[in-house]
Amino acid sequence: MNSLFDLLIQKPLSDSLLHYLLFIAFVLHMLFVLFALGTAMLAFYLFLETWHSGRLHESRWDREVLKTFTVHKSLAAVLGVAPLLLIQLGLAVPFFNGVTLFAPYWMLIILLLIISFVLFDSLSQQTNIQPYVFLILGIIALVALLIVPAIFVLVMVTAENPDQWANILKNGYHLDKALTIHWLFRYLHILGAALVAGGVFHFFFTAKGDPQKRTKMLHWIVAAILEQSVLGVLVLATLTKKLDYDTIIVMTIGIAAASFLLLNVFQALNKNSTMKPGLVFSLVMLIIVPMLFTRQMLQDKSLLPLNRELEANARVYEKNLSSYSQSALDNYQNDLNTVYDNGKTIFEKSCTFCHGGNADGKGNEAVNLNIQPEAIASIRANRDYIYDILIKGVNGTAMPYFGYYEKGKLNSLIDFLNVRFEVLGKLSPVPVTITLSDQEKADQTFSQVCSSCHGKDGRGAPEAIKFQPPPPDFTVYNLLPGRAFEVISNGYPGTMMTLFSNLPEGVRWGLVKIVNDKRKF
Amino acid sequence: MEFPIFQVPYLGNGMTIALNAVLHLIIAQGITTGVITMIALAEYIGFKKSSEHWENFARQLLKPTIVIVTGAGSITGVGIWFITSALSPKGIGLMLRIFFWPWFVEWLAFAVEVIVILLYFFTWEKWTGEKKKKHIRMGFAYSGLAIFSAFLITGILGFMLTSDGWPWNRSFWSAFFNPSFPPQLFLRLGIAFSLGSVFASAYLVLVRHETGFRKEALRFFGKIALVFLALALVSTWWYFSVVPSRFKTHAVFSVLTSHFSQHPEFFWILNILGVIALLLFSLVALRGSIFSSKVLVIPAILFFCGFVTEYERVREFIRGPFLLPGYLYSNQVQLDESLFWKNDGTLKNSYWYSQAGSSEDTVAQGTYLFGQNCSTCHTMGGLNDIKDRVQGRSEDGIYVILGNTHQMVPFMPPFSGNDGERRALSAFLYQLANGQIKIEEPSRFLILSREDKNE
Repeated sequence: MNSLFDLLIQKPLSDSLLHYLLFIAFVLHMLFVLFALGTAMLAFYLFLETWHSGRLHESRWDREVLKTFTVHKSLAAVLGVAPLLLIQLGLAVPFFNGVTLFAPYWMLIILLLIISFVLFDSLSQQTNIQPYVFLILGIIALVALLIVPAIFVLVMVTAENPDQWANILKNGYHLDKALTIHWLFRYLHILGAALVAGGVFHFFFTAKGDPQKRTKMLHWIVAAILEQSVLGVLVLATLTKKLDYDTIIVMTIGIAAASFLLLNVFQALNKNSTMKPGLVFSLVMLIIVPMLFTRQMLQDKSLLPLNRELEANARVYEKNLSSYSQSALDNYQNDLNTVYDNGKTIFEKSCTFCHGGNADGKGNEAVNLNIQPEAIASIRANRDYIYDILIKGVNGTAMPYFGYYEKGKLNSLIDFLNVRFEVLGKLSPVPVTITLSDQEKADQTFSQVCSSCHGKDGRGAPEAIKFQPPPPDFTVYNLLPGRAFEVISNGYPGTMMTLFSNLPEGVRWGLVKIVNDKRKF
Repeated sequence: MEFPIFQVPYLGNGMTIALNAVLHLIIAQGITTGVITMIALAEYIGFKKSSEHWENFARQLLKPTIVIVTGAGSITGVGIWFITSALSPKGIGLMLRIFFWPWFVEWLAFAVEVIVILLYFFTWEKWTGEKKKKHIRMGFAYSGLAIFSAFLITGILGFMLTSDGWPWNRSFWSAFFNPSFPPQLFLRLGIAFSLGSVFASAYLVLVRHETGFRKEALRFFGKIALVFLALALVSTWWYFSVVPSRFKTHAVFSVLTSHFSQHPEFFWILNILGVIALLLFSLVALRGSIFSSKVLVIPAILFFCGFVTEYERVREFIRGPFLLPGYLYSNQVQLDESLFWKNDGTLKNSYWYSQAGSSEDTVAQGTYLFGQNCSTCHTMGGLNDIKDRVQGRSEDGIYVILGNTHQMVPFMPPFSGNDGERRALSAFLYQLANGQIKIEEPSRFLILSREDKNE
């Protein structure tokens, strides 16, 4: 990976500041992500429970819960922008590789979020909605929402494991077995954390003042924490190779805080007392922060050395490019000064590299072509025919279509070709006198040989129209006699037009006259 | 290329980015900025006139608005970022470095905006009496924040078309306050408030029923629509006068595409019709005519969305060969890098190509070169299909054209690679166009050799 671009090295903030900001921004984002996920799952569960017990017409707690989703998801989204901004600066290569390797999934996140957000918010606002409709829309919204963290974890796992990038690319959107297991447990661990966070939030907010609801939330929290500890062990099991003392110490703080929270909840349940919001909030943060910090430490361990290496490579690459930067800028200035709004510029830029500046068919690129570009200066044709060639190109040759210029520009090009090279002008007469017998022989040759492709009327025989390139239509397109004579004598190499140098010169001039007499305008 | 390439099947990358971006702009300008400002105004009028109608109108319109704004509006906005991260990582990565601070401030503004709009929504019924004034002020504060966001984003977007002195001096201020910054800002605000008033009128005439109030409110929104349409029209003219002529000349083509490029009259007819429809709607609204407004409001909205789409299409297309003028071509190759690769070759400098086995095979090389050079705009079998573009050309013809794309087609970047690579790509394209090869899954542009596949 030696071709990193120079701007990658530029960072508006110091590495360490970037690092800490990223961590803080990520914690804030995750807090609301957990609230949003937890709220959605809790609301859906409460809806099912209310429906099952036939209390849909009473005051709906599930709706109260769901109403807070608007806030959580909005804040989660807006707070997610900061880590996105910062990680693209600090860990550009791992991040963009994670994203591009799973590009279709990554982009799917947007669609899933829109579906889920719009559905959940509409459901929380609509009061008279059929339970079945609510169920179906709720399932769609919830499933869409729950897929999102799965994709995020997938991209993060990919970004953290540079050694797997090449394999992922080759195997097409698959992690290897070990990473898949790690991804799965990590994903579930986030959902579990969301259950805890949602439970805690709604214990203090929507269940406020209702002992029954509060008890239910306490049970919910207990179940969630127990399930979280099982998942936590499973996640750890997939990380054993990477753990060191630092990470273990930090993680222990989180686990201790979780145990303390559990103890607190049990006390609240037993004594039927309530929990102190300040204490619980601190405990929740004491769980989330160490967990995310552990994640960050593991990530740094695998990515910071890589990042340093990449930046060193980028400096070398920048040196390679430095000798080109001045000419790149000069070319750009030239580009800006070149305005394709007139026939002259269009001719010079789009035509001359093949047809040559004098329109003699000898542009720089002509040597690379088997079929030589026509000498435009020798063409005498009608406007429509030239226009037709310009918008369609000539099949079997290099001559492309120019339909990317609008009609007006193509007309100005034709005008320019006419002013400079008289392509719409009169055809000059054959410069030699042709004897009667030569003319007769030419007539014979034309009707026996030439007309098989060019047609008796010079418009091109039906069977020859499929040729690549096809014969031109002599009634509207001719070449100056000298050039026509050249083509008849030497053929048009690369096309079906063969050479007739074996014919006496006079006969060839006779053919020029025949061809040019076909002109109908 | 330092990141593996991905192309969205059929649609291609440009169209994918555009679909999301246009949806975002219609919502961000028309609803987030426009409709919410109309709501704030309606609430204010309701308070001044002690009118229940205005108050109810504002409160009830806010409900669906908040769902769209916080659900679809902000997510499509983040979506621009998400999608470009996957499809144009180098482009967005560079933009982030040039414009870190405006983006950072924009993020703060966005965060405050979200908090304010949520508070505005949730406190509507609670903050009454003495607190009502505070609530109204919060609505206007939100409008102010939305305008501030537009201010920040416009500097960044304008830069992509009129980067002015930046390529030479690399100065942030000349990049941000580029020549198209002021006209574009006024244009966007003109669009936001006129589109917002058209949306509000649609809700008014199609959903509300209060007879007297409807006429009064419609006249009010008609006035706003007319004033800001005029602003938008004047700004459009101003905007085009500062766009470099080099880019401006293919504005009409960008709308017509090669399908209609030979019928430029379509462009003028549709645009004039659109302007007439919008002006006509504003005028009947100004007269308070409910029935005519009902008839005209849907066409007006459609034309308006069409204009937003057209404007973004033109802006994104005409800078043509460049993603960042003077620095990066639209295919994410730097201008100086392109010159370097012309001498040194690109395949050997490509990490991902080497990962796929660095095959000498024409198909493998051609596919990858296509991915790197062409896949930003062209697909193999979808929109802007490369097969249609090279159909009928001889192989040496394709070779010649490849070497001259940048000068031959004013909005195409040059081919970046050495002569052998240019040969390989032309052979590949020739065979592709003539059906001699078929690429199964073009989205990655990497053809893995057989052993790799079996691993």
